[in-house]
Parts: sequence; structure tokens; C-alpha cells
Amino acid sequence: MDELLENIATCIEFGKINTGSPFPPDMRGKKGADEYTREALDAGINPHTVLTRGLMVGMDKVGKKFRENKVFVPQVLMSAKAMNTAMEHLMPFFYSGDISAKGTFIIGTVFGDLHDIGKNLVAMMLKGNGWNVIDLGMDVATDTFLKTLEGHPGAVVGLSALLTTTMANMHQIVERIKEKKPQTIVAIGGAPVTQDFCDKIGADIYSPDPQGLLEDLDNKLFAR
Amino acid sequence: MTKKQLFDSLVRGEQQHTTPFSPILMHFAARHIGKTYGAFASDHNVLVEANIKAMEDFDMDMVSLISDPYREASAFGAEIEFRDEEVPRCLTQVIKKAEEIEKLVIPDVYTSKRTLDRIQGAEAYSRILKGKVPVIGWIEGPLAEACNLMGITEMLMHLMMDEQSSEMLLDKCLEMGKSFAKAQIDAGCHIIGMGDAVCSQIDSVTYDRFVRERHTEIIQHIHDLGGLVKLHVCGNITHLLPSLKGINADIVDIDWQVDLDNARKKLGPGTILCGNINPVVIQDKSAEEVYALSKDLVEKQKGQRYILSGGCEVTVNTPAENLLAMRKASR
Repeated sequence: MDELLENIATCIEFGKINTGSPFPPDMRGKKGADEYTREALDAGINPHTVLTRGLMVGMDKVGKKFRENKVFVPQVLMSAKAMNTAMEHLMPFFYSGDISAKGTFIIGTVFGDLHDIGKNLVAMMLKGNGWNVIDLGMDVATDTFLKTLEGHPGAVVGLSALLTTTMANMHQIVERIKEKKPQTIVAIGGAPVTQDFCDKIGADIYSPDPQGLLEDLDNKLFAR
Repeated sequence: MTKKQLFDSLVRGEQQHTTPFSPILMHFAARHIGKTYGAFASDHNVLVEANIKAMEDFDMDMVSLISDPYREASAFGAEIEFRDEEVPRCLTQVIKKAEEIEKLVIPDVYTSKRTLDRIQGAEAYSRILKGKVPVIGWIEGPLAEACNLMGITEMLMHLMMDEQSSEMLLDKCLEMGKSFAKAQIDAGCHIIGMGDAVCSQIDSVTYDRFVRERHTEIIQHIHDLGGLVKLHVCGNITHLLPSLKGINADIVDIDWQVDLDNARKKLGPGTILCGNINPVVIQDKSAEEVYALSKDLVEKQKGQRYILSGGCEVTVNTPAENLLAMRKASR
């Protein structure tokens, strides 16, 4: 069992999707997260164990490497792709209730901002960390965040902006969310965003990297 | 001495009495003359008027043709939407499947409306400024352009999954960049800015594998045409500095996340460094604070090839006093 879980974690850490995937070159022709996850479930390993000791371990490692500039966006995207492929096998267990998500995270780039790479990375890593992610995409209006929040009480909201100009739009969204649903945790991120700005606009979490967000979320929820 | 002569003396490494000042202005410049960003990006007359007015009012040492990243993408067939107070939007993913790369035709920069508009901007600068002010043209770097055509997430994953067709797309973007650079130099540009911002998001191995040689080739091409090159990769490029040393860019923009002294050490004394105050700081701090930060940079870079600027584009909401404070600090 341990070996299979380790293999899943390794494949996700290094972005190995399946046997046919040419990446990474030194794992060419070998099995990937896809096959190992299927094998683990077929071997009777509990789906929750596959998630927490396989997928999440792999994503945690890549998240830390990303934070330390040991890997960059392309490698993280490949890890996320491997994770998503493995997750496909686990989805039925989410639906049946055998695995429960950590919570729901509503994410989008703020209105006016069409840069989604950071948002995509965060969304992928949240999924790999056991969150149910509702990705609203790019250029998301304040009302869309609020409407989605109505349908998912208790969800965390994540706002992303790459531009200094669109970063200012976060303020309005945070204000409206806090006015309508004061208990909502709002996380913000993006190249120009800082902790100072986060404090200034009344958001709850700022992290310069996805891994920090995951850790902050665990801390915030644990503290509740 | 004209601004062009001052710049030439900077290139030659001669002692500067005043540190050159050349922030990246786009939306700010448009607003400065009461025009929209949409008009600035879609009409070279507005872009040129806005930049010259900003140059005069803030005593800047260069003018530029930078607007948005989608001039070449538009020529490749992407539909672009202009909005009054936002960056233009690219509505079309030109390359949806790898198989389409082979069929991609490199467009004629003189017949595509948006590339021609920039060329006409270069001609207008030449007519008005008569060669007395350095004019910076602009092209997308090969990786940035490939991302514009394919989508950034898709292209970065494609680099990892399909080297052969990635190379093919990058080569086509390279050829497009060379052709667009030539047209702008022919129209009077002295310097070509090459924006390849996405490079800050890739590791040095991937940069060396896919981009470095292409950067070197395009820079050599521009040098052969008599132009200089200003490389703009915003974000943290600390990890790329050793790779950037040998590509022979004349000017390298340094964003605020990068330690300027480290960049100097890695790139050497021959490279003109341009930067690197955080645009948010330029926008939010008082003129006195911006002056102090600028003065500190200017003093530290004294005697070296250096241009005072923000790390990236000066934002539209930056107070004019803060730009004036930067200019004052550079004297």
C-alpha cells in the first residue's frame, strides 16, 4: 500500500500524468498518477487515504518547491494536470460521500482582469489539497461572487489580480462581501498584491504563493 | 545636447550629469491628455501625442510605442476588443490545437491594421521629433507571443509535452518579431523594446532550452539593422540573470522584485539597467517618499549605465507630482 501511495505522490510531484505522457523526460514510458491511482483503488485502499497520503502529499511537495523557486509555473501546471487526472478516479467517492472536501472555495480574477495563470495555479492546488473549487473564471463581477456565495454558504472566496489597476477592484468586492456575509473568509493574491494592501481593504488572507494560502486556510479553519 | 545625444553618450558609457529618466507610460499617458486607453492603443496619433506630451511635461528622456501585447496576435488573426479604460482584450485563441501551428502563416506587418498602426506611430515620432529623442519601438518576445496565440497555460504545458511543435511555434513568433522590429527601425525607431514577461514564470533550464537562443538571434538581428534592444521581462528574473548575460540586450528592465545590485553584478557594467521602483509605491506614496527612493537609486547607480524608471508600467492613478519627483531626483 505504502509503495503505491508513494508512487502517486511522486508522479504528482514530478508531473507524470500517465504512461503515454512524455513529461518528465526521465520518467518516459513509466506509469503515471493515472495508473497508480486506479491501481490503489483496485487494491482496496481507502479513497480518502489515496487523497491524503497520495495526491495531497505530492501537491504539498510541489507547492513547497514552487515557493522556494525550485520549480516554476510549467512544472506546477504539469503536477496539477497529473493531480487532476488522478482526481478523476476519486470523484465518484466525493459524490457518494466516502470522501468529503475540506470546504468550498470560490475563485476568480476580479472584474477588468484577464490574467488567469495565477488563479489557475491556486485553483489546481486547492483541488489537490482536498477543496471543492468553484472557478468563476476571469473578469468576474462583484455580483457573481455574491450570487455564488449565496448558493454555497460558508465558502471561502479567493480574488486574483495581476495588474495594479485591477487590484483596486478587489477593494469593492471585499467590501460588498463583508457587508453581505461578514463571516466569509476572503483571500487575495496576485503579483502587485501585498499584505499591506490586504490589511487596507479588509481581506483576511494574503499569500504570495499558493502553498502559503493552503497553510493559512488550514490555520484559519482550525482556529475557528 | 539633444536627448538622443545624451542617450548615445550613456550607451558609450560616458559620465552622465543627469541620470536618464524613462518610465513606461501607457494608460497614464492617455489619461494625461484626456484620452482613453482604448484610443491610445488603437490610434497611433493618440499614442504619439500622449507620449510626447508626457515627455515634455515630465522631462522624460525617451518616447515609446508600447501599448498592449496584442499587435502581433491581431496580425496573426486574433480579434481584439478595445475598451475605454482597460487594457485591450484578445478575444480569440489563434492556436487551439498543436496541428494548427504548422499552418500558421507569418503575417505581413504592413498590411495588418494593428502592426501598421505601430509602424505609423514610429513614422510620426520621426517626423515630429526629428531624431532628437530616442524612440523605442516594441515587439513581443517569442514566448510571450506564443502564449498570446495559444493561451499562457496551454503554451507553458505544451513546452513540457511537445517540444517539436513548441519549437515550430516559437520560430514563427521569432520571425514575426524580427520582421516587426525591422519595420519599426526602418520607420525611425532607435531602440526596440522586446516584451517577454512570461519568461519570469519559467525556470532557467526551460528558458535556456526554448528561449535564450531565440532572444540572442532577435537581438543580433536588431543590432545588424542598427538598432538597440531593451528587454522587458517584468516580475522576478533573479533566476534568469546568468542566462540573460550573454544575449547582448543593450538595456534590461529590472522589476522591483529584483535586487538592482545583484542584476548589475550578474549582467555586468556594459548593460544599461532600467528600473526599479515598485509601481504601487510610485502610485501610493507621497512625492517626498518617491523622491527619496528615486534619489537613493540614482546615487547608488551613479557612474554606471542606468535609467531611472518604475519596475514596470506606471499606473494610471499615479499622481503627476510623483513622476515629477522622480525626474527631480534624477537630476
